[in-house]
Amino acid sequence: MNKVQKTINNNKRELVTLLGIFLIYIFFTIMDSSYLSWANFLLILQQSTINGIIATGMTFAIMTGGIDLSVGAAYGIVIVAIAEMTVAGWNPVLSLIIGLLLGCGLGLINGLLVTKLKLQPFIATLGTLDVFRGIAYVVTGGVPVVGVPNSYRGIFNAKLPNGIYVYVFVFLGVAIIMGIVLSKTRLGNYLYAVGGNEEAARLSGVNIDWVKIRAYIICAFCASLAGAISLSNLGSGNPKAGEGYELEAIAACAIGGSRMAGGKGSVLGTVFGALLLAALKVGMIILNINTFYQYIVTGAIIVIAAFFEVIQNRLESRIKKRD
Amino acid sequence: MKRKKVLAMGLTLAMAASVCGMSAYADEFNPDKDPNGIDWTQMREQFGAMPEVPDGLVVGGLVKQLQNEFWQSLKKGYEECGAYIAEQAGVELTVDVQAALDESDEEGQLTTMNNMINKGYNGILFSPISDSNLTAAVDTCNEGDATVAVNVNDGVAQNTNYFVGPNAYQNGVLAAEWISEKLGGEGQAAVVIGKVAAYAARERTDGFVETMAEIAPNIEIVAQQSADWDRQVSKELAETWLTQYPDLDAVFCNNDDMALGVVEAVRAYEEETGKHIYVVGVDGDSEAYESIRNGGQDATVDSFPYYVGMVSMEYMVRQLSGQEMPKVVWTPQALICSDNIDSDPAEVIGWSDAAFE
Repeated sequence: MNKVQKTINNNKRELVTLLGIFLIYIFFTIMDSSYLSWANFLLILQQSTINGIIATGMTFAIMTGGIDLSVGAAYGIVIVAIAEMTVAGWNPVLSLIIGLLLGCGLGLINGLLVTKLKLQPFIATLGTLDVFRGIAYVVTGGVPVVGVPNSYRGIFNAKLPNGIYVYVFVFLGVAIIMGIVLSKTRLGNYLYAVGGNEEAARLSGVNIDWVKIRAYIICAFCASLAGAISLSNLGSGNPKAGEGYELEAIAACAIGGSRMAGGKGSVLGTVFGALLLAALKVGMIILNINTFYQYIVTGAIIVIAAFFEVIQNRLESRIKKRD
Repeated sequence: MKRKKVLAMGLTLAMAASVCGMSAYADEFNPDKDPNGIDWTQMREQFGAMPEVPDGLVVGGLVKQLQNEFWQSLKKGYEECGAYIAEQAGVELTVDVQAALDESDEEGQLTTMNNMINKGYNGILFSPISDSNLTAAVDTCNEGDATVAVNVNDGVAQNTNYFVGPNAYQNGVLAAEWISEKLGGEGQAAVVIGKVAAYAARERTDGFVETMAEIAPNIEIVAQQSADWDRQVSKELAETWLTQYPDLDAVFCNNDDMALGVVEAVRAYEEETGKHIYVVGVDGDSEAYESIRNGGQDATVDSFPYYVGMVSMEYMVRQLSGQEMPKVVWTPQALICSDNIDSDPAEVIGWSDAAFE
């Protein structure tokens, strides 16, 4: 009993997001009973994969008190790079690995700009957003790279006997590994420390720069992996792929309880945030709600989530006072 | 009870929005529905062979961006038509095509257009990124008589005096006719919309939905949703539809990129169920052509950007040579499917170069 209570206490924010998903489920099931089906649940899992993986990485950047606006462009650049390599006949797995390493390199650039040049993360990654996107255009001449071979596409786009796509398991795997990194490793502790109080972390001997650089590398790595998956889904490397994806990823983090000032958040919360957004999107498509209203609803959910954050903080401080 | 209330509120909102929408569109310049608009063949008939072309004309082309095939082809059309006219008429004719940095660089595009005006270009063929970003420059052209500004293609500056481009409404009409024929006038169809506020998206969707209602009342449009011109999003949208509407027969997409996303969703579904779902896009991208050849996408409505460029340049030169052109001229387009995909596009649309006396 004690253990259960402790788990609940430690994951209050995540539970609130989970509750949100349940409410969405109940609402859409009342409106249309076909919403509550296994096929539909799989659909929500599938459709949260791309955003969920990008947002998982974003959680790390936000945790340090920063942000990474360049994820959509890193996603695009990796898509183009892997597409070019596989179309040229390179080994698909090798191409994938090179693509992911390239992504890590992009993250390293962001990390160095933020730490060594001391640029504000918002501005630095706004700049690299354009630079990365521009490179993707230059490399391709603006034309999609077509003809990605099935040997590559099969890596993520294969269906297992139980009807679930491989990429859904990749998403779950990434979530679990990154969740462990953030909650159980020294790097994770340092990330919370740096985001919570950078000066205190510095004074207690944490190498702030190296912690932040790794956060940006993880962030770009996740975006690259999402790009690699999308390429296998679509079979064509479009240099403009991923435009605007950074905002949806930030939304998933915010809904999942990441604090934009850093030091608070979790991978579990972010994954729930991405699932909530996907559940909402699928529900609105099923009810055939006019797209105009979909923007309003999605935006409202983000605002409500932010408001919840405030209420929760207030309640907690009140309870503390009473104790 | 509550559900009813929510529904009622939703309906009221929807009605209010549609009323606002109607009033906003009431006196809008819509080149697709211009009562005096003619297509390019009618232009040739009415105005005959090319008039005498003045020597030393300078025409600027201002496109949205040059990172994409569509605008690259349009540019080629401008340049080749310019070269052809110069050669046939035996005059000097300079064509200078420029672009904004990308499709969000609205200010940059305006600056480029103002530069062209300041340099004294005789004519500017402009394709505005949004309906409003170039209106100031268009006003400058309208007020003076030094530069003629012609709006080419899908963004529409409301104050323009001239418009040349494909009839986006007609895109949807061609798709609806083809799908209704393939389905024998019965079944279910859905529409993947581009960005909801985009002119081309609105017109293509309206053309499809209204034509379908007219010629095939037994084909039900079960869903219309936006996928933001994004292939990944359209794939996910189609996956959701396929669970929701197992009897779906056809999907019309506002562009080819989204159609190719739907093809990916449909492919997996077709393998499982053995049922064919027709997928039709718009634009005539080379990737769509390849997909049609490989049995993926079924058709695309091609508006041939190269010929848009050719017709626009011809229109501009006619105007600059003293012919009074109508406000709106529509450029050639055709639905391409496996039957006519290997034909020469010039043959499909019945193209001939402008005649000289």
